[in-house]
Amino acid sequence: MTWMMWRQHRTEALALTIFVGVIAVALFVLGRPMHALFPLGSAHCLVPPLDQACRSALVRLQQDYGYTTTVLILLNFAPYAIGGFLGAPLLARELEAGTWQLVWTQAVPRRRWLAVKIVVLGTVSVLLAAGLSAVIAWYRRPLDLLGGGLDITAFDLTGITPMAYTLFAFALGVVAGAVLRRSLPAAAGALVSFLAVRVTVAGWIRPHFVMPVTRIEAFVPGSGDITDGTSNARDMILDQGFVDADGRRITGLGAVIMEGKAREGGGDPTIYLHDHGIQHWVVYQPMERYWTFQLIETVIFVGLAVLLLALVFRRIRRPAF
Amino acid sequence: MTIQPALRTRNVGKRYRKAWALRNCTLELPPGSVTALVGPNGAGKTTLLRMSVGLLTPTVGSVEVFGESPATNSVQALTRIGFLAQDHPLYRQFTVADLLRFGRSCNVRFDHELAARRLTQLGISLDARAGALSGGQQSQVALALALAKRPNLLVLDEPMSSLDPLARQEFQQTLMSAVADGELTVLFSSHAVHELERVCDHLVVINHGQVMLSGDIDTLLAEHRLLVGPRVKTDPRGSRSVVEVKHSDRHTTMLVRQAAAPIMPGWQANPVGLEELVLAYLRRPVDAEAAESQEETA
Amino acid sequence: MFHFRLDTGSGIPPYLQLVQQVQQAVLLGFLQPGDRLPLIREVVESLAINPNTVAKAYRQLEQENLVTGRPGHGTFVNDTLPAAVPPATYTSLRHGLQTWLRRAYAAGLDDHTIAALFSSVHHQTRTATETA
Repeated sequence: MTWMMWRQHRTEALALTIFVGVIAVALFVLGRPMHALFPLGSAHCLVPPLDQACRSALVRLQQDYGYTTTVLILLNFAPYAIGGFLGAPLLARELEAGTWQLVWTQAVPRRRWLAVKIVVLGTVSVLLAAGLSAVIAWYRRPLDLLGGGLDITAFDLTGITPMAYTLFAFALGVVAGAVLRRSLPAAAGALVSFLAVRVTVAGWIRPHFVMPVTRIEAFVPGSGDITDGTSNARDMILDQGFVDADGRRITGLGAVIMEGKAREGGGDPTIYLHDHGIQHWVVYQPMERYWTFQLIETVIFVGLAVLLLALVFRRIRRPAF
Repeated sequence: MTIQPALRTRNVGKRYRKAWALRNCTLELPPGSVTALVGPNGAGKTTLLRMSVGLLTPTVGSVEVFGESPATNSVQALTRIGFLAQDHPLYRQFTVADLLRFGRSCNVRFDHELAARRLTQLGISLDARAGALSGGQQSQVALALALAKRPNLLVLDEPMSSLDPLARQEFQQTLMSAVADGELTVLFSSHAVHELERVCDHLVVINHGQVMLSGDIDTLLAEHRLLVGPRVKTDPRGSRSVVEVKHSDRHTTMLVRQAAAPIMPGWQANPVGLEELVLAYLRRPVDAEAAESQEETA
Repeated sequence: MFHFRLDTGSGIPPYLQLVQQVQQAVLLGFLQPGDRLPLIREVVESLAINPNTVAKAYRQLEQENLVTGRPGHGTFVNDTLPAAVPPATYTSLRHGLQTWLRRAYAAGLDDHTIAALFSSVHHQTRTATETA
């Protein structure tokens, strides 16, 4: 049976391996000179105070490789490409070609056949995703210095979430294939649902996985400029602004006006703010929660995948094709 | 002890959304028989065939293959049946050898030798890709796969409709040889009524989702007569034994199902051919009462 | 080895065609006592015909005492043929049919009409005889 699955889907599996391989080689080639900027390792330059070498390396990193952070966003489609490409035709191609009638009248119960198919192809797609995520994690390590820890340029591409997304895309493909009965529409349907769920979770749900941290800090007069965010560029900032002497928060337009006042005259704005008893506040998810968030995100997407696959198992028992 | 039928359906009906594809279908196929299922497109043939191999479950009624419902989808039930779907679907990118390996990996009593030998005899290379074979060769590969499973009931959906005459002959030869080897009951649908006499011994005629006629072909032919005589004024259609009446200016032709009935003077009783018989039953209007009673039970 | 033919357009049920071919062959001496009829499988392979049909034909031939099936060996033409129709009777029947045919031609019937008339009467008479 496993041989059968391999024989049937080896073309897609090989194509995807090449796809992942090409990305990996490209990242390796592009990443080597970037890593070479930091002969002592990029982690060395993460904690202030920074030495001269770190500072000049950081400038070059920003200049020469700053754009790659944006390019990396494209790799958020990779889990869909892997999972959807293997999942969508899983049932749809059998239904398209009529071979469901051939395979479901062999002496293998439908559910066992489906289970083997899902385990084999699901494992292939998760392994490919794991490989890709490891390569991306290596590549973007120096880019950590430029920030971005819990957002789509880092969190969604590294750790264990890419595997969960891939499994989810795979399950979506299988379900769409069972419902739409054609590979191409199934792949398109899976893409739309994949993006919708991913954007919703990353944009609206993830910031609230755990109660965010709120910090209020007084301005140190003469420190030069208004504090922005937190001391760690990789924290996820949810909101920030000023709080006045009475403890009232000033956000949005109020904060802009306040900042304008502070900068009037061109002096150090922190002196004005300090004198008026105004403090900086920030609501954020600290980078230390990376693995907690990875776990929660993984549970959500693996859970959704399991739910979707359970639906297919239910449907296949009494097919109405 | 009574012989267990290979296939038994009792009051089977299948509804897709609002429309009934099949109603009140009650059939019994004796083991070892070869049955042709005849009817126009959309009559419910494919629905009946798919239900008999468990690819569909009936909305009402029961289907049994050797006493067990094929819808249980158990290994035991699946081992007993073989199915050749319309247009003989195969994994096109597989080689013939791959397909045989697929069959062997999915079935306990798969006769790999037999299939390979038969295909080689027919000049089909085991290294050829299924998609590159001709229609006739593909159907032979699909049949070889189904037969190598050693099923007790083999169901075929219009197996010969896309084949040229020579391929049909070869296909029939393979199929009939398998029946001669024993323990195989065959049910297949077909449009080619004139070919049926050669290959089948039982017949089921369905139309508008209902069974119009079923039974042993020789018995059916012996039961029916074509009566030709002077034109009658009264319409004898009300009688159950009259299948079809045709009037011309001076004489009347009647197909009746009462072979031993006394013949009126001036009338001539002629035997009826299989094709004529099938066509007469296909032209028959649907039994409205039967349709209603099914809807009540549903 | 004896060879069967099958004419699917004839309107005669296939099993009956097989029976008639054996009957004729025996009558005409093409099949001699002790000859073996082809195995069911052989007939099936050469004609692509339903084995049940062949079996039915052989059963009927056995009932007519024309052949005997020996399990494991085959079906053989009997020694004591029921061609117990004495040659004289055969000749006389043949003669009667010839006379009838001449009368039919004289009456202006063509071959088709004669055939239609024959098969109709033949069938009717046979049905009457069977039910009697």
